[in-house]
Amino acid sequence: MRSKIRGFLYRHRGLEGIMYVLPFAALWGIFLAWPVGYGIYLSLFEWSPMRGSRFVGLENYIKLFGDARFLNALGNTFKFAGIAVPLILGLGLVFALMLWSWGRTRRGVGFVQAVLFFPYLLTVSTVAITWKWMFDPDFGLVTHAFKALKVPAPVFLTEPAWALPAIAFATAWWLAGYRMVVFQAGLGDIPQELFEVASIDGARFRQKFLYIILPLLKPALLFSLVLTLISAFRTFGQVLMMTEGGPGRSTEVLALYLYRTGFEYFNIGKAAASGVVLLVIMLILTLIGVKLLGLKSELE
Amino acid sequence: MRRILTLVMGVVLVLVLGIVAPSGATTPEVIKIEFNTLFHEADAKAMEEIVTLFSQTHPNIQVELVQGRWAQYYAELRLSVIAGTPPQLGICHVNKLVEVADYLTALEASPVGDLIEIGGINAADFPEATWKAGELRGHHYLIPLDTHGWGLWYNKDIFAAAGLDPERPPQTMSEFIKAAEAIKAAGYYAFHPAEDSLPRKLRRAWEIFFYQMGGGSLFDEGYTKATFNNLEGLSALQFLVDIFNDFGWNTVGGNGYNQFTAGRLGMLFAGNWFYPTARDSGVNWGYAKVPNFFGTPYTWGASHQLSVPLQPAGTSPAVYQATMELARFVVEHSHIWTMSGGHIAANRTALEDPTLLASDYWTRSGHLLNEMIQEGLVKFPINHPRGSELESAIETKIELAVNGQITPAEALAQAEAECNRILQGG
Repeated sequence: MRSKIRGFLYRHRGLEGIMYVLPFAALWGIFLAWPVGYGIYLSLFEWSPMRGSRFVGLENYIKLFGDARFLNALGNTFKFAGIAVPLILGLGLVFALMLWSWGRTRRGVGFVQAVLFFPYLLTVSTVAITWKWMFDPDFGLVTHAFKALKVPAPVFLTEPAWALPAIAFATAWWLAGYRMVVFQAGLGDIPQELFEVASIDGARFRQKFLYIILPLLKPALLFSLVLTLISAFRTFGQVLMMTEGGPGRSTEVLALYLYRTGFEYFNIGKAAASGVVLLVIMLILTLIGVKLLGLKSELE
Repeated sequence: MRRILTLVMGVVLVLVLGIVAPSGATTPEVIKIEFNTLFHEADAKAMEEIVTLFSQTHPNIQVELVQGRWAQYYAELRLSVIAGTPPQLGICHVNKLVEVADYLTALEASPVGDLIEIGGINAADFPEATWKAGELRGHHYLIPLDTHGWGLWYNKDIFAAAGLDPERPPQTMSEFIKAAEAIKAAGYYAFHPAEDSLPRKLRRAWEIFFYQMGGGSLFDEGYTKATFNNLEGLSALQFLVDIFNDFGWNTVGGNGYNQFTAGRLGMLFAGNWFYPTARDSGVNWGYAKVPNFFGTPYTWGASHQLSVPLQPAGTSPAVYQATMELARFVVEHSHIWTMSGGHIAANRTALEDPTLLASDYWTRSGHLLNEMIQEGLVKFPINHPRGSELESAIETKIELAVNGQITPAEALAQAEAECNRILQGG
């Protein structure tokens, strides 16, 4: 019997590989591919299960791109990503560099690392509620700090110019810790000899950073960039809880628009269409990350 | 002989089994029903109290009470019906009926007959208008539970510090301005008209001023176009904007709940659900009707009603029966709902309950809200299948005007344009 199985597997050598990926493929198919496919299917309907759904083709998409509110949400999503992504990556990199340079000379690095990583362990609601209080115009710590410095404090969450940056800052505080860990791993892989040689040649930190750290940290940077971009485009919880998309609609991002259209206004077809748009944007960004920025070659 | 003995024993055994088996069969079957609500604060506790009482007196009905998901409630209600797993009893704001009626059982035409009759619910126990609010397109969908609304909460200590009589809250525009200016001069926030300043709260405040000015309806009768962009709408919004900007009575973005409980705010417009927070805050508070600023002292309010979501085909009549028993119990015990949850019971008998009338809530604030309701001064939200979108279109522009980003005239013009686009199917 065993030899029969062995013989069968030998004759169908490709099958073994398929068996290995089958559990993952099944889960991926059920929980990702099917819902995404069904979402695309729904976006072509005026979905009303109680009165009968109606096929409308691309009408939901046409309506979407004629809807000023959707375009505003799309713009806000790009704005948010434009502010949040550099903030998250920048903070993560600064933290990582700080710990990396301290690592060789000081004690307590583990504690500092834990403190910097800690926010990442919090849930989005905890982060949002905490920062909403911090920015409170009457009792907030940030407002209080401004007052102590005798500087007029902006009303962060109710001024359109400040609201999105304030949410981006809270998001950076939340997520930078994880990026820090990724960068730390990348920094740890850089051979020390390169720094020693550079020091002998009289290189300063700026030159070491530009010509050694940045090029060798590229895989970690690109990985974090793609991850952070996707995360920024999916931002939802902190916006919902900190501003509900306001003031006006100045912080209504695409995911919040989708949620409201689908679950508050129950226009599922239109919501699915906006979900497809979000999916396409994220696909394009990921492809840019892989193709144009060279992630593919780095991974290889 | 042995055969006879065996026969006798067999007969005895059959008799014994015959006696035991029927008594086992008559053990009442426990019926499980699910009751979903959107309550999440003191009112959630009040509903839990009523359901616990029901469970104690109805051991054959097991109620699973699910509460606390205000924001997602209506989406979940609809999705649960679509999925074929709806709760047996639910809540519906009266103005939401037009949005969710497709997902509710028409009570008089359920698959098992007239549920109102089956439940022994009498329309005469409720104010006629509240009962009729549950009707749509010739069917009756809802059983009234309460009416709730906004009133004026004020800090008696701040009134005293500002040289005002703590037992005489302002009830006219001139009294109100005098009180607000005195409180401001004493170094406190004078007035917050919109709870925690969320956009929907600012819209409610604007609606109060709009209706008080006699601005008419927000939309025409057939909901073909917005009608709020008129002189009254503009004046109402200007007044709201001035409260935060020109009058210096509060600051843009200020959270009235927090200011009040911290003892920094003199007067606050807030709903009856603020009662437990005010009571536990340590603030020496008082409550008054919404003052008459502009002609008729209207306030904002709404009504919670009980509903039976559409049940899957083949649902047993016993389940419907148990559901209606629970519904009747809830409305008949809604004095607890009022006393602990703050919403004014719709059931007339419940409102006459001696424990309610002697309660702290009723004597300090509830009776005044009830007076506003009985006097017809509570204005309900708009009633349209796309009501949520229309409200959102208005409130976002109002918020921008309050924050000084656009003028009141621009806000109303933009809100009007967006509402008309929605009404035309955009």
